[in-house]
Amino acid sequence: MDLSTLVYGLNLAAIYGLMAIGISILWSSVGMINMAHGATFAVSGYAAWLASTAMKPVIAAAFGKTLLASLATAGVVVGVALIAGALMGALIYLLAFLPIHDKPNFAVRSLIVTLAINIATVQALLFFFGPRSRGLPKIFGFGRLEIFGVSIRYDQAGTILCTAVLLLVVLEWLRHSRKGLEICAMMQNPEGAALSGVSVRFTALPIMMVTGALAGMAAALLSQTIFVSPTAGAIPLIKGLTIALLGGLGSVPGAVLGALLIGFLEAFTGVIPFLGQRYVMFIQFAFIITVLVIRPRGLGGLLDDTRE
Amino acid sequence: MVDVTQTKQSAPKKLYKVGRHHHDYRLRPNGTQEWSRARLPFTRRHWLKWRGINNPRTLTRERVLVDKKPLWWTLSLGALLIVTPFLPNAMINVAAIFCMYAAINVLWTLIIGTAGIFSLATLAVVGMAGYAAAAANVYLGVPWPLMFAIGPVVGLLIGGILALPSTRLDGLYYALLTMGVAEICRIFVTQLRPLAPTNGSINKVGSFIPEDWFLQREGLLLGFAGAFVLLLGALLVFRLVNSERLGLLLRAAKTGREDEAFSEACGIDFRRARMQVFLISSAALGVCGAFYAMYYRSISPSVFSLDQLLLLFAMMVIGGLGRSEGAVLGAAIVILIDKGFVELGPLRIMLVALIMGGVTIFAHEGLTGARQQFRNFRNRKKSERRAVRTEKGGEVMPEEATEIADKQEIYYRRFNKRLRDELKTYITPELIEEHRQAPLGRHSDTLERVLNYFRRGEVPDKYAILRVDGSMDRFRILAFSGERGAPPRVVDDKEYQTLSEAYHAVFLLRVNDLLES
Repeated sequence: MDLSTLVYGLNLAAIYGLMAIGISILWSSVGMINMAHGATFAVSGYAAWLASTAMKPVIAAAFGKTLLASLATAGVVVGVALIAGALMGALIYLLAFLPIHDKPNFAVRSLIVTLAINIATVQALLFFFGPRSRGLPKIFGFGRLEIFGVSIRYDQAGTILCTAVLLLVVLEWLRHSRKGLEICAMMQNPEGAALSGVSVRFTALPIMMVTGALAGMAAALLSQTIFVSPTAGAIPLIKGLTIALLGGLGSVPGAVLGALLIGFLEAFTGVIPFLGQRYVMFIQFAFIITVLVIRPRGLGGLLDDTRE
Repeated sequence: MVDVTQTKQSAPKKLYKVGRHHHDYRLRPNGTQEWSRARLPFTRRHWLKWRGINNPRTLTRERVLVDKKPLWWTLSLGALLIVTPFLPNAMINVAAIFCMYAAINVLWTLIIGTAGIFSLATLAVVGMAGYAAAAANVYLGVPWPLMFAIGPVVGLLIGGILALPSTRLDGLYYALLTMGVAEICRIFVTQLRPLAPTNGSINKVGSFIPEDWFLQREGLLLGFAGAFVLLLGALLVFRLVNSERLGLLLRAAKTGREDEAFSEACGIDFRRARMQVFLISSAALGVCGAFYAMYYRSISPSVFSLDQLLLLFAMMVIGGLGRSEGAVLGAAIVILIDKGFVELGPLRIMLVALIMGGVTIFAHEGLTGARQQFRNFRNRKKSERRAVRTEKGGEVMPEEATEIADKQEIYYRRFNKRLRDELKTYITPELIEEHRQAPLGRHSDTLERVLNYFRRGEVPDKYAILRVDGSMDRFRILAFSGERGAPPRVVDDKEYQTLSEAYHAVFLLRVNDLLES
């Protein structure tokens, strides 16, 4: 076990955190568990792959093999992933939120509808693209970099950095923009927010799109390490969901803390010789069950009581 | 309703049928004989829920079947039982799998619906019980009938472990925990080499199906018969738990926190009741697990997979969460799509997902709740249309009429309404002028009719003339309260010089009331 394990853990934590925070924000503001987050992940990955293969000759023609070319590729991949994620979020809004948000049993029904969207999307991706996994262009390039004697792969460094920046931007947007304040109001007290003139419908749409874009970003980043495949969203979805629950649904700091814990746990479990990669899920669930038995509302779970 | 309004030939009015069940078939019992009803052995319950009623219109005695569900159950399960032996082998297999999954679903419904515990570890319980029973059979040489004993014991054990945190956690947190337990079970089974040497599965399990019949037509039919009995058993467990004491206790603590607090205050230990339901259904799921291992003569880790769980969940959702008929109907639909149309490939999973999404978006409580939802919708539309077509004013609405016990009241109110409508056409300036000129004495026929109607009015709000301070030239108008001891109220502060003027003022007030009614 060395410090590179630590970096690997941080890398995983960054990606899972992007998913978990999306799920957490969505639950606390809109009151739905988005099971289609994994589908958003997969769709964004495929969109980025399609766009990058389509733009490859264009970029090669325009910039050749310069630094600008790789920058343009990175821009295309990240931009398309973000946009595809946001569009997928809007689609989920149209299917799983708009028709039923004022009907009885919204929480359970939206969960089921998003689950159905997830399954249908994965099957559709399988149908159109086949089970073969695709590799995205490496937007951070190949190579290693030495910081304080620790060697870090470019993609790990890039992932951690990008996630930190993106999360900061989103949190600042939540704290300072008008829409963000409306979302915060809905997270604190949905009924009160509705009474003071915050439209539930028009606030839910940007939330869905932003959380979808976060999932898209996670897809673009994780695909630097693994490949894009139709079922690629399942593991991040389960991880994101468990982390969101571990952190206490609705608590962003809790989700960040949960992501760090789970990321490091995964990294260290993989390194310990007699456990190995096979036991990652086993250890993780055992850990989460222990935490939940001790703290039934998760690490930062305070909001849950008000939601009931 | 008797066709009262048709007597008025000039304006025939469309009459609407009254009541909600005018096509209902009703038994006419022989009133001279006693009603003897068969009872379920050893209980005081009757087989079917017949109720004797008096038809308020025809005044005859009738019998109504209040709960028709047992008939539907008998019809559908009987049809399955009769049709299956004539099906090709593959479809017999599908029918048996349907029965098995329906049984698991019914028991799961008990956990989610009756106990209100959102557990996703159903298949984990089934799988662990199946593994334990299979291992006991293969490695310890336990004969197959004893597997049906090992299954529920292991199921009870796993259920007990799962039930412990259920009092502390609720909702999604508990769902997550159970999902984790399922995953842990899967890894436990695949990694435990001595238990399952080949790919985590145990093969060559002994079974109630003889080995040389396995996958033959006889074996399939026997398997179907077993699965059918399993389904009947699951339904029996559901009936015994959900509609008897435990289910009734839990119904008080069903929906929210307030209800839980309320039932606790009533002395219902709902936590204990939930735990009991959970344990009972876990033990029953253990039986399903043992059956599963026997039916396939093997068991593999795919029991624990998330896809399988989602498929089961889709069945319940499509049928309607928390209803046994929903669990069975959903299982029928999903199994038919999943196992019946194998040639469709991955598309059939998509089809299941689409059905699931569609049903959830459009139906509030799955397909089995659609009927009630449609009725609610139709009633709403009906009342909207009725509100458009009915004019207010004392007339009884058809739906209201079924609720009024004294039918005389309905006719009186209808008569009054028609009378008022008629009288309103009499009121003309000439009539008022006639009354002004001579409030007392002989009147024309029309005025006499109007006055007669006024005189018959009820005492509450009837007008009276008050002589102010006993003088002969100051009169005011009062209205009676209609209650003994409550003083009349003064209508306005106008004073009239002569009695005739006062009479006419009362007349005008009444005309005003009539026209406004």
